[in-house]
Amino acid sequence: MQSIKTLINKSFVVWVVPVIFLVGWQLSGSFGFLSAETLPTPWQVVKGAERLIVDGSLIHYIWISTKRAFIGFFIGGLIGFLLGFMNGLSRISEKLLDTSIQMVRTIPHLALIPLVILWFGIGEESKLFLVALGVAFPIYLNTFNGIRNIDPGLLEMGKVYGLKGKVLFWQVILPGALPSILVGVRYALGVMWMSLIVAETIASDSGIGYMATSAREFMQMDIVILSILLYAFLGKLSDFLAGLLEKRWLKWHPNFSRSK
Amino acid sequence: MKGIPVQIDQVKKSFQSLEVLKRIDLSLRSGEFLAVVGRSGCGKSTLLRLIAGLEQMSAGEIYINQEPITGTHPDLRMMFQDARLLPWKTVIKNVQIGLRTKETTIAEKALEMVGLTDKFDQWPSSLSGGQRQRVALARALAGQPKLLLLDEPLGALDALTRIEMQQLIEDLWSKQQFTAILVTHDVSEAVMLADRVIVIEAGKITFDQKIELARPRERNNDFVYYEQMILDQLIKKSRRTHYEIEFTV
Repeated sequence: MQSIKTLINKSFVVWVVPVIFLVGWQLSGSFGFLSAETLPTPWQVVKGAERLIVDGSLIHYIWISTKRAFIGFFIGGLIGFLLGFMNGLSRISEKLLDTSIQMVRTIPHLALIPLVILWFGIGEESKLFLVALGVAFPIYLNTFNGIRNIDPGLLEMGKVYGLKGKVLFWQVILPGALPSILVGVRYALGVMWMSLIVAETIASDSGIGYMATSAREFMQMDIVILSILLYAFLGKLSDFLAGLLEKRWLKWHPNFSRSK
Repeated sequence: MKGIPVQIDQVKKSFQSLEVLKRIDLSLRSGEFLAVVGRSGCGKSTLLRLIAGLEQMSAGEIYINQEPITGTHPDLRMMFQDARLLPWKTVIKNVQIGLRTKETTIAEKALEMVGLTDKFDQWPSSLSGGQRQRVALARALAGQPKLLLLDEPLGALDALTRIEMQQLIEDLWSKQQFTAILVTHDVSEAVMLADRVIVIEAGKITFDQKIELARPRERNNDFVYYEQMILDQLIKKSRRTHYEIEFTV
């Protein structure tokens, strides 16, 4: 019993299920249960990846997609963050802006794709616009709520101890809102990849989504699967980075220090 | 380091139509330890919050060191019922709040005074309730206040920790000689610590008594005499109103 518990605590355990899945997938392809037209084996996907690495297009596409994702995230995140802080700190600003923001938020941003193509064509702007729009709202909502839910007792304490303006912001307000902001960041990272995939699949001439669409036209199943796996990998990677931020910035928080 | 006098002049406070404080007059000399006793909702905490500048009074004037207050006073510190430590700062950083210096020696000294030398780099979440309140006391005293307000700071602690904290507060008060105002509903805590006890009932001061006992105080006959006197004041009143209600029925 004890040995099972220590085994589960080892970090490789999280990879047991994916590895079993991959092996099963490979075997069912090798023994002919799955035809290569329906689903190529992992090995065929690796071969396809090798081909694209050799001609240089894979790295190029990954780089382009990642760059788009993070620039869009940065723009949208910054807008959401600033609006969240303004409306969280000032009732006047909230009265003026919150209703409008909530109205825009209820529009599914991917429904704007036809409009965005008409405005920006299939250039970089259209992708950045969609990613930024998708990312801004979760960050806005969580920043706003984070500020509004700061313990009023701590703000009162800050007042008695003479904390004002900048000092109050950096010592009390920002760290108090940070757990909520990071929840928003984590959620927004998911929205970021989703927006980018859709935008690249529909309106693009480069990037991972474009790679998948053009592979479909030539019936290159291995490349289609490769694109999907790449998105899974990049999504997991950005989630991992967000987790690192949480561990680093929220180490005071009992919920995060316990998991260590 | 000496305390500063506080003068409360015809102060009234209402929340909408509810009159919480009805004309309070009170004056404290420098270094005096005053305890304010009363039932829940009698207005005693509101009075403290007015002095701290956390609420606006509806009428009257409060003078700290002969000057009418406008917001929070820089020589004033306050301890709350909950410790209100910033959970994202270590113990020592919490004590440094309001010190305006990166220098840690003052904060370290303050933590030594409350007996927490081994907790400098811990997070508040890892401390017990009593230890947190000690950190809050160290934080209040690190700024060398001339007026310390205590809003039922020991109310949430267990009986033994409370006695220890009472001794600690008395000890530090007699060393640093700041003026202190303690709001509490614990009569024996008031008699243990204060030079003078007032009772607030329904927004008015109805009782004002010097406690002439030598320090450190023991729970002897004289102590019990004062305790009983204050309790009688608090309980008789409520009995009388109780009868009045019965008569009207």
